[in-house]
Amino acid sequence: MLAYTLRRIAQLVPVLLLLSVAVFGFVEALPGSIVDTLVGTEGGDIEEARKILEKEYGLDQPVYVRYAKWLYRAVQFDFGKSLVTRRPISFELLSRIPATVYLAVVGISLSMLIAIPLGTFAAVRRNSGVDYTAQVSSLAGISIPEFWFAILCVLLFSLYLGWLPSSGYVSPFEDFWGSLQFLILPAAAIGFRQAAFTTRLTRSSMLDELSKEYVDTARSMGLPERRVIFRYTLRNAMIPTITISGLQLANLLGGTVVLESIFAWPGIGRAIFEAILQRDYPLIQAGVLVLGCIVVVMNLLVDLTYRLLNPRVKFA
Amino acid sequence: MSELEADKLVDGTLAWRAPPVPPRRRRLATALANAWHELRKSRTASIGAVMLVLLFGACIATPWIATHDPIKQNYRARLAPPSEQHLLGTDRLGRDIYSRLLYGGRRLVTIAVVAVALSLLIGVPFGVLTGYFGGLADTIGMRIVDGLLAFPGLLLYLLFVTVAQAWKFEGFMVDVVLVGALAFAGMPEKARLARGSVLAEKQKEYVEASRAMGDSSFCIALAQVLPNIVSPLIVTATVRFGFVILIVAALSFLGLGTPPPTPDWGSDLSAARDYMETHPLIAAFPGLAICYTVLAFNLFGDGLRDILDPRLAER
Amino acid sequence: MNDKTRNRGVEATRREFLKATTVLAGTALAGLPGTAMAGKKHPKRGGTLRFGTRDDSVALDTHRNIIYFVSHPLTGITGGLVDFDDKMQPKPAVAESWDSSSDLMTWTFKLRRGAEYHNGQTIDAESVKWNVERIKDPKTSHAFTRSVLSDVERVTVDDKQTVRFHLKEPHAALDINLVYYPVNLMAPGAVDTADTHPVNCGPFKFKSWRRFDVCELVRFENFWETDSEGNSLPYLDGLVGRPKKEDRVRLTGLRTGELDLIDNVAYADAPAFKKDHGRTFDTWPVPQVGTAMMYFNLKNGLLSEKDNPDAHLLRQAIAHAIDHEGIHQAVFNGLGEISRGFYSSASPWHSKDIESWPKFDPDKAKALRKKAKGGDEKFSIIANDSFPYMQQSGELVHAMLKDAGFNAVLEILPGPVMLEKQGKGDYHIDSTANSYRLDPDGWFSRNILSTAPENRRRNGYKNEKADQIILAARKERDPAKRRLMYADVETLVNRDLPILYTHFVPLMMASNRARVKGYNVSYSGPWSYTGAGMRRTWIDG
Repeated sequence: MLAYTLRRIAQLVPVLLLLSVAVFGFVEALPGSIVDTLVGTEGGDIEEARKILEKEYGLDQPVYVRYAKWLYRAVQFDFGKSLVTRRPISFELLSRIPATVYLAVVGISLSMLIAIPLGTFAAVRRNSGVDYTAQVSSLAGISIPEFWFAILCVLLFSLYLGWLPSSGYVSPFEDFWGSLQFLILPAAAIGFRQAAFTTRLTRSSMLDELSKEYVDTARSMGLPERRVIFRYTLRNAMIPTITISGLQLANLLGGTVVLESIFAWPGIGRAIFEAILQRDYPLIQAGVLVLGCIVVVMNLLVDLTYRLLNPRVKFA
Repeated sequence: MSELEADKLVDGTLAWRAPPVPPRRRRLATALANAWHELRKSRTASIGAVMLVLLFGACIATPWIATHDPIKQNYRARLAPPSEQHLLGTDRLGRDIYSRLLYGGRRLVTIAVVAVALSLLIGVPFGVLTGYFGGLADTIGMRIVDGLLAFPGLLLYLLFVTVAQAWKFEGFMVDVVLVGALAFAGMPEKARLARGSVLAEKQKEYVEASRAMGDSSFCIALAQVLPNIVSPLIVTATVRFGFVILIVAALSFLGLGTPPPTPDWGSDLSAARDYMETHPLIAAFPGLAICYTVLAFNLFGDGLRDILDPRLAER
Repeated sequence: MNDKTRNRGVEATRREFLKATTVLAGTALAGLPGTAMAGKKHPKRGGTLRFGTRDDSVALDTHRNIIYFVSHPLTGITGGLVDFDDKMQPKPAVAESWDSSSDLMTWTFKLRRGAEYHNGQTIDAESVKWNVERIKDPKTSHAFTRSVLSDVERVTVDDKQTVRFHLKEPHAALDINLVYYPVNLMAPGAVDTADTHPVNCGPFKFKSWRRFDVCELVRFENFWETDSEGNSLPYLDGLVGRPKKEDRVRLTGLRTGELDLIDNVAYADAPAFKKDHGRTFDTWPVPQVGTAMMYFNLKNGLLSEKDNPDAHLLRQAIAHAIDHEGIHQAVFNGLGEISRGFYSSASPWHSKDIESWPKFDPDKAKALRKKAKGGDEKFSIIANDSFPYMQQSGELVHAMLKDAGFNAVLEILPGPVMLEKQGKGDYHIDSTANSYRLDPDGWFSRNILSTAPENRRRNGYKNEKADQIILAARKERDPAKRRLMYADVETLVNRDLPILYTHFVPLMMASNRARVKGYNVSYSGPWSYTGAGMRRTWIDG
């Protein structure tokens, strides 16, 4: 196990290096330059101003030099300054990652709250009306385009019913209960959507478990069905559900752009998206790299937990 | 999708063997009947299949059943309610919504099908190759896949589509770029799936045997492995169709979708946001079209999973 | 600008305001009836206004800001030498009065006594000079702001209260141009925190800013302005800016009472909203925000005389193919007005003496297109992706050109790519707009004058007669004469067609009538200026 873990950690290095090259390459290939935007278009001294800025931001150097310098500083967690706001990248990222993590964690938890009972029930009553209802209703979650669903939610719950604020963000550290009412709509939008995947997964792993011999043994020993399901099968069936949810969580960090812009949620996805549009190179590079790190580390953790919980998986 | 999900799907089908292949003449004749028979085992699959048949039917028949040119605008008759002349009314520029839906659907379904097929065409041989040769090829290949998977959420699409703006494509080529991005981003999941299967298959004796008989190694790998991963691939692919359609819609919302005036459900829905309160039908039609299509693919995929997964079958 | 009475602003010093406030408070305490309680409600201090906007600012250093820094909540921290009123006339701000030499080569500004930056530093002549020099330095400022000062040779300090601008060329409109892309004054001592905590001299002080989420401002107690009773302005304790990109969500926020004031009510909603909710919400059409237009590429390619002898014919064909009424209806939902020149009827510079562009005539468009060389070639229309009306105008023009038989392609692109294409001349038609040119010199000298860098970069139009008029108008003091001169230039533009004006860009703001009082939208939105906007707004309840 230890050897396997160490080897997996060692493998992260080339992956992240590859990711950094890919991001740098993408950013390099983006059409249009931020210098044009920063310099502006009016005035006779544009060329002079352009040279000054290119020098200040090091954009006059060849790409490999810039990459090497950037990498050298990045490994020391120094990502430089945003070219647009001129504030440190670390500030721009750190001030936004918590909001996205908050949204993603609550959204995923919500999806599990919906999906696990639904999936279990569907598996236990396979091919019954409950099963079909569960399957179709869970599919509804992924059938609706996210932004449409989100706006419909705002119109329904905020405008017509007046139950919830339409948008905005309050940090849970400042005012926990206050932050919840702003969280409900976006988190529900995520939860509803992710629940579709999770319900299916729970249902199929539950079916899988129910077909195992120990279930028959337990039943034949006269254990109540309820106990068989909740004590044994559900517990085993949970393993893939929980691990996959971990992966979805990591993936959501860059996947909430749409919801962030509708609900005015100050998250990292929107920041990177706007940075792409504005060509704020260092912010794109650092943002994607940091999120990439989180994803990769999450993947590793999930794999390790999975292997720990599920001894059938061999340490290949 | 992660290694785990892929593993799981592979796990589920490793034990399953393709039935003996019937002679070619009979194959085609019975294929459809067999398929329908199999499908009827799962109610979801049959509902999905019927929905898909309708969808594909509409896509194929579009030029005959559409009533208007989808990009012809008539700003003097904008925002018209459904009528005999315009079955579903007209949009903000006076274009016929019904015809736009048909043409947009035809385009979107084609994009989704080609993108998914392409991701299979790249991903499967990639996975098979890396898995079969192992060693350095495997390590490098899998690190590339990991690197691609490390782009969270939409970021890979966003970067890809933004970079593609430099290539000055228009019309058809814009769709090609979209297809490229979708195929590229969908590839790792298929590569993983294929590789896992190859690794399992490699251990088996018959591979050794056919290698000893002088078959070239890649052909062996592909020929032996493909039948085993067909069913998980079909399932992931059908689910992926729905996913692709939603991604295209999300990109349109973010302003990186299909440029106007090309009919596109995502852009049409996105543009109809402004009229959601004053003319709600304009937003409802493309929205419902997306829902229908995604639902159809997913129901079909889910049903197939039930049918193809041997653990779930005879119980 | 010799009219001294015009330059005499509110002369009370800060001490006097305070005295006046105390007296008023005293009367109130003594139980005497308030001065204006009958009928109209009397403004009262206090309250925080929540302002929802479509966009957010991109940075805090006002000298470097790369986007329009005129309508965002953060604009509340900015202030400068000169203000303007609803008639677009320059009004005293930090400068109490000013004068220009008879040759219009030297402008002298007298600073208000007691005016301060937010950190308590006095606004003296040296600090104004420092600001001008920082803005003129390409290292530290943005070209747009810098271009306002491009004619300024140097600035000298006469005494603590007097600062003198020495120009390279005579200029009749320097004062109003200092408001136009505002030469905002920043406290020299606080330059280190310009990007994180700006210290300016506007009516509100900066408190915090979290991008795409919230910005918080608090009242600057020592702001120089007072109301007619001598109460110090602004009335509001603070201002919370909430950028909410999604139009529907922003409007919902207003309707549910989460926001007090919003900008950019979607054109699709505006008429219905006014009709259905006019009782509970005030709507404010901003008099003039900008002018939408089609920019033709005259630097190279099919529409340029350099590469195509029939370029003018083609441009005429395009103009005949475009139905302005269609744009008015389909893009702007019938709001605002069609434009024949740069200035709308809300502007004192609006002129009826302009010869219109070629009228909509599809048959003529088709005939001209067939006749002209290059009429069958491919035309590229580009539009910026961040402004819906530019995209939608582009969409319509694209369809109208197709109807006239043109082989047109539409590309919707982000800002950086637009700049690159404009610079390289890699386009034929650019669906765009221009705004906030208070004085016509701001428009004509930058975009029509053949030597102007912006014109050369983007459009390449050259008409010697137009150039002569524009340069002569700079030296003309009489506004009526200047207006006629510019009308002549507009006529030339509508004939030569380097640009086809399409429509004035309407903008509708809406506010919660029960809470927001005293707000009166000004020429360019919430912040401008004397006698309007946020400074005189107060919250009821």
